[in-house]
Amino acid sequence: MNVYSIEELHHGFKTGQILPENYYQEIWHEAQYQQKRLNAFALMTFDKAQQDLKHAQFQNILSGIPYVLKDNFNTKGIYTTASSRMLADYLPVYNAHIVDLLEKAECCLIGKASMDELGMGTMNMTALTGPVLNPWNIQRVAGGSSGGCAALVGSGVVPFAIGSDTGDSIRRPAGFCGIVGMKPTWGLISRYGLIPYAASLDTVGAMTRSVKDMSIVLENIAGYDEHDMTSCTKKVPSYYQSLSSDVSHLKIAVIKNVYERLADSRIKEKFMNCVSIFKTLGATIHEVEFPDTYLQALSPVYQIIANGEATSQHACLDGIKYGLQKQGENIDDMIIRTRSQGFHQSIQQRFILGSLALKQENQEKMFRKAQQVRRLIVNLIQDLYRHYDIILTPNGEGIAPFLDEAKQVEYTLVDDFLIVANLAGLPSLTLPCGFVDHMPVAIHIMGRCFEEQTVLNCAYALEKSLSFSQQYCQKEIQHV
Amino acid sequence: MFETIIGIEVHCELKTQSKMFSSAPVSFGQPPNSQAHVIDLAMPGTLPSVNKKAVEMAIRVCHALHMDIDSLLRFDRKNYYYPDLPKGFQITQQYHPIGKNGYLDIEVNGQKIHINIEQLHLEEDTAKLTHDDDCTLIDYNRAGIPLIEIVTQPQFHNSQEVCAYLEALRMILIYTDVSDAIMAQGSMRCDINISLRPEGSQGYGEKVEIKNLNSLANVQKAIDFEIQRQTELLLNHCSVPRQTRRFDEKTQKTIAMRDKELLADYRYYPEPNILPVRLPWQWIESIKDHLPVLPAQRRDKYIHEYKLSVKEADTLLLNKDLSDFYDQVVKQCIYYDTVCHWLIGDVLSYLHKNHLHIHDIFEVQDFAKLMNMTGQGIVSSKQTKQVLSLMILEKKDPLTIMQKHHIQQMNDENVLIELIEELLDNHFQLVQDYHQGKTNLLGYFVGQVMKKTQGQANPQKTNQLLKQLLEKRKT
Repeated sequence: MNVYSIEELHHGFKTGQILPENYYQEIWHEAQYQQKRLNAFALMTFDKAQQDLKHAQFQNILSGIPYVLKDNFNTKGIYTTASSRMLADYLPVYNAHIVDLLEKAECCLIGKASMDELGMGTMNMTALTGPVLNPWNIQRVAGGSSGGCAALVGSGVVPFAIGSDTGDSIRRPAGFCGIVGMKPTWGLISRYGLIPYAASLDTVGAMTRSVKDMSIVLENIAGYDEHDMTSCTKKVPSYYQSLSSDVSHLKIAVIKNVYERLADSRIKEKFMNCVSIFKTLGATIHEVEFPDTYLQALSPVYQIIANGEATSQHACLDGIKYGLQKQGENIDDMIIRTRSQGFHQSIQQRFILGSLALKQENQEKMFRKAQQVRRLIVNLIQDLYRHYDIILTPNGEGIAPFLDEAKQVEYTLVDDFLIVANLAGLPSLTLPCGFVDHMPVAIHIMGRCFEEQTVLNCAYALEKSLSFSQQYCQKEIQHV
Repeated sequence: MFETIIGIEVHCELKTQSKMFSSAPVSFGQPPNSQAHVIDLAMPGTLPSVNKKAVEMAIRVCHALHMDIDSLLRFDRKNYYYPDLPKGFQITQQYHPIGKNGYLDIEVNGQKIHINIEQLHLEEDTAKLTHDDDCTLIDYNRAGIPLIEIVTQPQFHNSQEVCAYLEALRMILIYTDVSDAIMAQGSMRCDINISLRPEGSQGYGEKVEIKNLNSLANVQKAIDFEIQRQTELLLNHCSVPRQTRRFDEKTQKTIAMRDKELLADYRYYPEPNILPVRLPWQWIESIKDHLPVLPAQRRDKYIHEYKLSVKEADTLLLNKDLSDFYDQVVKQCIYYDTVCHWLIGDVLSYLHKNHLHIHDIFEVQDFAKLMNMTGQGIVSSKQTKQVLSLMILEKKDPLTIMQKHHIQQMNDENVLIELIEELLDNHFQLVQDYHQGKTNLLGYFVGQVMKKTQGQANPQKTNQLLKQLLEKRKT
């Protein structure tokens, strides 16, 4: 099938050079093929997409554009499982705010994408529908938790997908699948209707194959929503129109003690290549240190806050109102049975850890302490942003691991650095920057709160120089 | 021998249009589960939005109770699993209640007591459970209705003080217009914490909490019973276990619900979906400026300015609508006692009998007009009663009614003199008797004039003229 950017599709639909019906037939075949290969869909909604297409006028840029949603966005009348047994039969009666926005923009939903159960995972190995495979090599994982989205954009089925990011859930799979992933500022996009993981960290974001497409999608999904009290009332800038590859005025900080930790020298080389490109483009580059004690604190702080919030966030899943229901001798027994059978064991472990951190006797030394350290980390980052516009790091330690190794992968401090964006609510973007072992490698670009434009421009400039825009992989590549 | 220490927690449902965190309507008597938004059902992915009106109402009560108001509005999560709690947590204000350190002065047996209010906080109501033999039914209409919880210091010593406080607080809730505060309907609920200690001791005994008290009578009975129960336990050298109990109406006793020895851990923590909201001081102050006049101030005015009796004042105050109506009428009528007399007499009993509100039957202006005529003696008491009934029936102003039904007092002296002279002429013997000391015949003459005029003669004037004319005939 032909793979297009959003701009190309829009132009094609509008001028008649691309016939929507034919194009959607192509998508349908491709989607079925890729589903067999990657197992990335939780649910295909092709009939709905064709219905939606009938209403598309192709006037605005997203009209008639196909997309997928991570399966943790509520879609009225369409199963929404968050890839959990608990919600296997959950049929929402309302739409997430972002779904309403995209419907209004006349986008066509072709499916709900697989994810790690409730967004809790980094390899997309815990989904109810099984692991999601990497389009560049099906022996490797797509990454998580927005793995289905990444695989479907990375295999060229759709030009964009909507995901969510609590620790690195958009950026990690985007890096593994060689696409652009963006976690905007916390509060830029409404979370209403997103089945949560942890409220203070959850961020709605997008995945595309180019920075330009990212800017188009972002400006269409950002903005205040009266149903989300944490959404920002600021006017949304037109990221697409303001896109510029001039980075000569930018001051960029490269976190030395993060990139130097990279174990694979080939990945380090790709990263340094990006840094020198920025230098060539006229940006000011400084190497700075992010104190190791803070780096080491990132993961524990994240675990405690995320799981603490998650444990109450998911207390609504008790088998009483909707979702899985297991009979019991009394109400407590019923709730225990339902939750024991409804959640994967790893999820239950997270809930237990979260509850422990919130217990009265532990709260001061665990949850509250974690919140205090979070504040210190935010202060430190804000200090850095007093001097720099952008912070650059590798997008994690390595390439997508093989399926059978994924569970044993140990996370390093390089991986953990992505969490900073969630703890501090910062906009950050993952951009492909090369290949190692025929697998994509990515760089992580992080900016000041609500300065998405700077992040996008920075990525745009790099993307132009690297020419990794619009890459995708539909078939196994025979490597010699 | 023992001193009783009681602290009170009152929950009050606010009569907002919509719920605390959702747009579902707050309305009672609707079919079960017809007033629930996806937010109230805790559908995954929903988020709370704070109801501004509920915050305003809470601030109103804070002002009425002289509290310090926290202008940084913050909410917390109280976590526990129970079928009446759809989210698995309740959004409340554990760490930063909107109001702190207030007071309410009450009167018990003519003695003033200063009640310290520890805090007032906002939260949401739970769903309503109905337990059947083999199942439990859940009604989510109540889930998410705004509540305020008002907590006193442990400073009450007996049921009388508690009831006086509850009654005074109820009046505040009604007069600030935040709630119907009807205990029997659950819009005002009260939990009692009660413990005993040896007289003169400083510490506190083991606390027993009594829940689900749905009337003042039951509050009183439960406390009296509990004091006796705990006294007996202590006298028998038994310890009072820390418990939650409920009052059983059948047996008129308190019954243990669950032991509180293992205190539940609610794992409170700040609500991440509602960021702290800074309330503008101007807004908080303007709420104070628009606070309705509170019962204590009204009572003071009724007794000292309008010279009503204590009983009259209290009767008026029991019905806020009536008190409001009275306040408006007396702006247009200076016969304060006449207005009160008619309102708490015939009018009130009519309202009670027919389950009506004062505004259903009278316009302030019309009522004031009639009261002015009554006060000036233009219409008699009997006529007033008649006009009032006709005003309710025909929904017209008093002048129209009086014209239509020919109700008016004969005040024209010439006409009255003519009538009286004729009467006296016809009763020569009786006039003689009167002059010889049978002065009680005056009443007979007045009656005759009234009969002749079909009750329209001004009785005072008739009386006065009769005396004059009889005096004239003495020689």
